[in-house]
Amino acid sequence: MIDRQFGVITFKSTHHAIKAESVFKNENIEFRTIPTPREVTYSCGLAIKFDLKDTELARNIVEENQLDIGGFFKVIKAGKESKAEKLN
Amino acid sequence: MNIEVDARGQACPKPVIMTKKELDNIEKGTITTIVDNEVAKENVSKLASSLGYEYKVDKGSDDEYYIHINKGEIQEVNVCIPDTFKDMTIVFASNTMGKGSEELGKILIKSFIYTIVETIPYPSTLVFYNGGVHLTCEGSEVLEDLKKLEQEGVEILSCGTCLDFFKIKDKLQVGEITNMYTIYEKLKNPTNTVTIE
Repeated sequence: MIDRQFGVITFKSTHHAIKAESVFKNENIEFRTIPTPREVTYSCGLAIKFDLKDTELARNIVEENQLDIGGFFKVIKAGKESKAEKLN
Repeated sequence: MNIEVDARGQACPKPVIMTKKELDNIEKGTITTIVDNEVAKENVSKLASSLGYEYKVDKGSDDEYYIHINKGEIQEVNVCIPDTFKDMTIVFASNTMGKGSEELGKILIKSFIYTIVETIPYPSTLVFYNGGVHLTCEGSEVLEDLKKLEQEGVEILSCGTCLDFFKIKDKLQVGEITNMYTIYEKLKNPTNTVTIE
């Protein structure tokens, strides 16, 4: 039911998140706009969730469209525990 | 093996959570939870019976109850659902969340429904009326989530009058069509109904 690992892009403001969503919608990538996972601290409340296998693609979309983002993170869920790592 | 869980002074639902945690940790054996009030005693007992475990309550004094729960070898798979969620209804009165910006409201409602899917236990029923019925119909961005919830046993109900009004009755993609009588039945427990508008 719950993805065990996934990627997340955070934003500094909700407006940036909304803009990114509209950009992503026009790209060939599976993603979701989700509430930013609690483990990812510094950011606004909305984030883009993507499949880790699409990390490069997501990065390209961000770069090509010059999206203003907070960062790329990997969220790892194990049972009820959950943690986030910054993706470099 | 006997493990003691001292849940005296813990507010609801802490005693239940503490007990459940210990029960999950052991293969078999006895857990004794100590609580200091009647309600906690009832809740922990309910947890034991909902999991199919035998239990026995000893009253130490007026503010001391010992609940001995015996986790046996053969268990039926049974999910523990705290009572507060068992009949919880969430109402979607609109296809946006809150007022101020429709664009933001649409994103918020998607986020909200995503969060329902991510959070266990699930509510028992989701009711959609007025503009909310757009969420259960073709073109909705939350269909996948709602279908997942339906598979997990969450009842998904859309107001028939509303589907009719918006002329989208044939576009319904998830759950059942309902009427005002059923909607009233679902909403009449105000302590356990959350309305998103």
